[in-house]
Formats: sequence, C-alpha cells, structure tokens
Amino acid sequence: MKQSAVDAVIRGLKKAGVSIVCYLPDSLFKELYPALDADPDIRTIRVTNEGEGAAICGGVFLSGKRAALVMENSGLRASVEPLARMGLGAGIPVVMLMSYRGELGENNWWAIPHGITMEPILDALRIPYRVVREEDAIEQSIIDAYNWSYNAYYHSAIALGGSVVR
Amino acid sequence: MKRYDCMTRLAARLRDELVILSLGASVDEWYNAAPHMRAASLFQQQLGCVTPQAFGLAAGLPHRRIISLDTDGGMMFNLGILATLGNEQPKNLFTVVWDNECYQSIGGPPTHTAFGRVDIAAIARGAGIDHAYTARTLEEFDAHCAAGLAAEVPYLVVAKVAGTVQPDIRRKHSDGREDKYIFVRHVEATEGIVIMGPSEHN
Repeated sequence: MKQSAVDAVIRGLKKAGVSIVCYLPDSLFKELYPALDADPDIRTIRVTNEGEGAAICGGVFLSGKRAALVMENSGLRASVEPLARMGLGAGIPVVMLMSYRGELGENNWWAIPHGITMEPILDALRIPYRVVREEDAIEQSIIDAYNWSYNAYYHSAIALGGSVVR
Repeated sequence: MKRYDCMTRLAARLRDELVILSLGASVDEWYNAAPHMRAASLFQQQLGCVTPQAFGLAAGLPHRRIISLDTDGGMMFNLGILATLGNEQPKNLFTVVWDNECYQSIGGPPTHTAFGRVDIAAIARGAGIDHAYTARTLEEFDAHCAAGLAAEVPYLVVAKVAGTVQPDIRRKHSDGREDKYIFVRHVEATEGIVIMGPSEHN
C-alpha cells in the first residue's frame, strides 16, 4: 500500500471514532499494520485468528468504544461463526476492513479461494459491503460503514482492492 | 463441587463488575445465583466468543472489573485467546472456566478434559497467564475469586465442577438480542455514556 492510502485508512478510522483495532497481519496491508501500531490514538490488539478478533471487537462495542477488525479477506472465513452468532443472534456489530485477495489480476494460486468466497460469504451473512479501488473513496467508505453499523447494529465491511493495495 | 454453589460464592463478591457468560445450563444457573447481577451480565450463546468478548469489554473499560464465565468446551473452541491474554496482560479481567468435562447441554458427551490429560490451567500458564489455577473445592474456588477480583494481571481459575444442573430454577425468558439491550443500557447508565443512541430523525 502507498503511504497515502495508509493515511486515508487511518483518517477514516479516526473520523469514525475508532480507538481499538484488532488485526491478524497479511501481505497486502503490510504497510498499514505498523502505522496502526505507531499511532498514539489507536490501540492495536494482535489476535491468533480473525474469529477471535471479531469477538474481541464485539466486546469493545459493548464498552462504548469503537473497534475495527483489519485482516485479509480470508479472515472472513475464519470469522463466520462468531459473526453469525453475534450479529444474527444478538445484534452486536463488527466493522471489518479487509484486503481483497483473489480478485481479477491475482497472481497467487493460493489466493484464488479468497476471491471466490468473499462476496458469497458476505451475502450469505447479509453483510453490506463496499469494494474500494480508488484511494479517494477510502476515508468516506470507512465512515459510511460505521454509520450504517451503528444504526443497523449489524456488521459491515470495506474491502480494499485494485491499485489501492497493489 | 457444584457449579451453582461456586456461582453463589462468586456472586456474593460482586457489586459493580460486568460479566460475560457462556451458553448452556450455566445461563439459567447464573440468572438465579446472581439476581443482583442480571442487568450487569451478558447472557450469550456463543461458543468460543465469551472470553474474547470479555477481553474486548475489558480493553474498552480499563477502569472496570470484567468477569468472563467461560466453559471447558467454549475455551477449547478458541484456545488462541489465552495467548492473546498472555501478550496483552489485561489488568481488569478475571476468567472463570466451568470445567464439567462434558458438553452438558446436549446430554453430556465428554469434552477433551474428561480423559485426565488436557489441563486448561496449564495451557493458560503456557500461554503467558501466570496466574492460572485449578480449583477442586469450594474453599479453593472462593479464595481464587478473592484473588482474581483484586488482581492487576490476568487471572484464570478452572473450576472442576460436577456435570449436574441445579434443579428447579427459574428459566431466563429473554433472547440474546433482548439481553444485549439490557446489558448495553446498564453499561450506559453506570458509565454515563451513550452506546446505542438516537437516530438523526425520529
């Protein structure tokens, strides 16, 4: 990611009121994670799998603070169980920011499943999402996701793809 | 050792703490054992989510004591949270694992702890939670509650309890969604904050 895209993500998170980020690092967001770690206004929590991160974000919601789950889109598959239980069972929302691995242009065979499964899984869970491929749209998209999730009390997702992450 | 008896001992020590608890029969037991904590307890049906949610709550409210009432099945569903707690070292999180060595709510088939080899407290210590213990008597459990509620480091006690359920107790009628609203409104009132506020327009 370019530094300008990293900056746009962090601006969006801050404008949305996020103070805690749970993440499991990936390669497309490689530059984002240390920037989040270094930001004095954001507490980062490194997790062992994205499902654990989703549950921690749910707990943060209950505290009145705002959290984000940052991950590769493969982490969505690891998160389905807690997302279904928290979102559909209790109305506890998690806002996700994920890198779009496996979209057209992907040149790693192992990432193809991530692209094939991401949108059907989001649709199956009825999670609204926006794929953002223009740097100018990052900040407002993150703000929009929080506005929606804090009125729906349900999950939403932003997937960053295209030249934003490559 | 009966889980319900442990719960009454723990409940007697609680005042303004917040509790996240696991699924199964322990829900109705806690509902009855700690009636003064009903609004302060999030009753959820989320295997593997309980201690992570409690940690998230603890991270968001660092001045407030948070209690996770997890289970052997729930903790083993997501052992990774123990490593996260080991690294993050929350100062305000007391975790209880009700270990009845079975999946009680579906009739009692054994969990991995039933065969004498798997030791959740030892796994927790190996993950960096230095204060992780196993209690086999009410007196031991009560002493760990006293220590865990005062600890400035993550504290975990595995309570080895019988696979029985307290008979003739009142069932909780609310579902997970209603429970969330009750809990959130309690947090809002006691913290003086807004979590679920009004829309822009009515």
